[in-house]
Amino acid sequence: MTTAENVLSEIQQKFPATLLKAQQPRTDRLYLTVKREEIRPLTDYLFNTLHARLILSVGTDKTPIDGNYEVSYIYSLDSRNLILLVKELVPPNDPQVPSVTNIIPGANWHEREVYDLLGIKAEGHPDPRRLVISDDWPEEVYPLRKDVPYNFRPPIVQEVKPPLREPNENERKATILSVGPFFPTLEEPAYFRLFVEGEQIVGSDYRGFFAHRGIEKLTDTVLDYNQIPFMAERICGICGFVHSACYCMAVEQAAGIEVPPRAKYIRSIMMELERVHSHLLWLGLAGHYLGFDTVLMQAWRIREPVMWLVEAITGNRKTYGLNLPGGVRRDLTPELCDQILQMIEKMEKETRELVGAAVEDHTLKMRLENVGRLSPDDARKICVVGPTARASGVDIDTRKDHPYCAFPEVQFKSALQQSCDIWARTLIRAEETFTSFDLIRQLIAKLPSGELMANVGNIPPWREGIGVAEAPRGEVAHYILTGLNNRPYRWRVRAATYPQLQAVPRMLEGMQVADFPIIVGSIDPCFSCTERVVTVDRATKTPRIYTKKDLLAMSRQRTQALR
Amino acid sequence: MQNLAVGVFSVLFVLLAAPLLDGVMRQVKARIHSRQGPSILQTYFDLGKLMVKEDQRAVNNTIFSLAPIVGFGAVLLAALFIPMGGVIPLGFAGDALVLLYVLTMGPICLCLGGMASGSPYAYIGVNREIMMLMMVEPVIAISLIASAVKAHSLMLADCIRQSLTGTPSYSLVICAVAFFLALQPEMAKVPFDLSEAEQEIMEGPLVEYSGRKLAMLKWSFYCKQIVLLTLFVEWFVPFPVVGSLPLRIVLTLVKVLLAAVLVEVIAQVFPRLKIAQSMRYFVSVIAFALTGLMLAVIGL
Repeated sequence: MTTAENVLSEIQQKFPATLLKAQQPRTDRLYLTVKREEIRPLTDYLFNTLHARLILSVGTDKTPIDGNYEVSYIYSLDSRNLILLVKELVPPNDPQVPSVTNIIPGANWHEREVYDLLGIKAEGHPDPRRLVISDDWPEEVYPLRKDVPYNFRPPIVQEVKPPLREPNENERKATILSVGPFFPTLEEPAYFRLFVEGEQIVGSDYRGFFAHRGIEKLTDTVLDYNQIPFMAERICGICGFVHSACYCMAVEQAAGIEVPPRAKYIRSIMMELERVHSHLLWLGLAGHYLGFDTVLMQAWRIREPVMWLVEAITGNRKTYGLNLPGGVRRDLTPELCDQILQMIEKMEKETRELVGAAVEDHTLKMRLENVGRLSPDDARKICVVGPTARASGVDIDTRKDHPYCAFPEVQFKSALQQSCDIWARTLIRAEETFTSFDLIRQLIAKLPSGELMANVGNIPPWREGIGVAEAPRGEVAHYILTGLNNRPYRWRVRAATYPQLQAVPRMLEGMQVADFPIIVGSIDPCFSCTERVVTVDRATKTPRIYTKKDLLAMSRQRTQALR
Repeated sequence: MQNLAVGVFSVLFVLLAAPLLDGVMRQVKARIHSRQGPSILQTYFDLGKLMVKEDQRAVNNTIFSLAPIVGFGAVLLAALFIPMGGVIPLGFAGDALVLLYVLTMGPICLCLGGMASGSPYAYIGVNREIMMLMMVEPVIAISLIASAVKAHSLMLADCIRQSLTGTPSYSLVICAVAFFLALQPEMAKVPFDLSEAEQEIMEGPLVEYSGRKLAMLKWSFYCKQIVLLTLFVEWFVPFPVVGSLPLRIVLTLVKVLLAAVLVEVIAQVFPRLKIAQSMRYFVSVIAFALTGLMLAVIGL
């Protein structure tokens, strides 16, 4: 019996009356539909007995199709290579589901997001504040409902009430230190409200999603299957490739497309190149957060050749534009493979010198050890992923647990540390950089010949696909429900920073203000990833293109006016 | 007459060469980073830009407005109390303790200005600045007093004469090292630049300053750096003693430059420490300096 059959029969035995429907599209996927009222005991069983990890939850408005809303929780049974989808049907006249946040603290944001975007209330949620949509959005408009047009513009609101939490008992006497929405060390908009006594942080609150632009809405109304990878890639400025690859994997899975082996290898090579430059970028930033700019500059100098190389392969330093459902658009020529091998040779040597110097540095260790601790228990409860989880002793690595692309065919060991602090996260990322060098060599050596693109054909509607992939920051997950008109009915993205950010308040507790930048930095945050940003300007019906000259003139006029 | 000439020179030197020294240190930093770095004149351009920029007037408060001016004056006054080529322009008027007070006025003004701004970032910065002052000023005081003990006088002129003519001793070497260690925090350099820490508290006490006031504060920072470096090389490293005054001054300038480069190199090979870690470190430096003082008392 496969794992999926095993798990299904276990659930059938324990909860005979709960299950409405079970589907097994592949050996490593199990899709269940359950009764809404009995979701809590089932969740408790999945999370505490089967040790499933919550990946994400999706809300879908299927009222035009079959009259119901759907809320799905997607779990991963990491050690058993199974992804489990648990779906509840929600009738529109009673739009609420029982909250499971008390069982899985990591479900907190997911349930708030479902409420914000679809108006399905998580009944019994401990902290039902607004999370995703902006403060001036009207209360009763839920943007992901199908009756809200994609170009809906809410009326202008004069009085805005930000959903900030009141200080609790401990925090009442503390000074409030606002970090953000724009802060020099955090390159993206994010607002942390720290409650500080002297130098010590006693509590914190977070408000983010300032850059939420609703790209999920655009995909089921405007874009089509082949356009979305280019949008998905723009979700993140650092690890965009993994997003577009993950989207394509979800679509391929839903449509049952078999990707040619060469395309799989090329995707894997690009993902590992992306990991190398992302981890070096992080190492540099970590140095910068500690005022150690020598590390910043040297790490970025070492990283730069990756960007040149990727430009030679794809034509762009970032946003490679390489993925489409079914395969990749460009080939890796033998000359390019040689260039990659030569470059990683040199980079590996330089990285080893830099990492060696950093790891030996006594003062650096003093700043990072026992700072920003996240206990293994919290790491599991908040469902953190990637280096943050592995530094807390949670042995998960999507490349190993849910093998995708060419990763089943190469040998590697994923890094694991037990000390739960930033020092551990640093060591993990350093080790992973070297693993990536090794993986690139193995992948290039094994690179098979053949086609780059499978024959895709029509993608049948109403199929579900879940793509997961290990981005440098941790696991990213894309959920697809295929639809009509050559576009998905629902596309949901969960970036690695999404669970990680929920763990930050735990890491900040009892730490000092001086530790704040490095603690937030230690999860390698990518706020815009979480927010699914895109800079498509749809404000005016008649678009106007400003040239650099126009902008310069406007800027000068403004200066003149100020004088 | 000579005193007057050296006095005018000292003040002009501190005022005009301070941004240049900062430019040199930025260039050193850039080289360690494998960067090309800005021109060594960049700090002049930066100050010039701030001078013509609009003052945002974020805070309407007399102390907030006066702090940069008083701080600037204090550091120029300090320039008159430090030796230059073995001559102290105001040497007849003050002793080592006056010098200490004048040197501390700058940071105190900064703290008052920061407190007056009312920003929580500034509060944290001021808090750290005061704690660092309490740990670092004793090191400087003990070092100066140890050489005063050797000279049997607190008068600046006597002390400097002693360091010029006297033979090197264990106590003075220890004090020189302790004084040098105190330069890093006094010059607001990593690993002890916590009161400004851009990445943590956005330059702390400076956060609400803009335009001309910010330029004054920055300029007085740079002046303070050059004053302290000059004091260090003149007081503890007066060697080799050569004849004519112009030659001695040139020699001092070269030594100041070397010391500045050394300070910048140290700043680039360490991450910033936290306040508790810095305090612990300076407790040992104070103990070290006290050893020097004790040795001076028993005549070594």
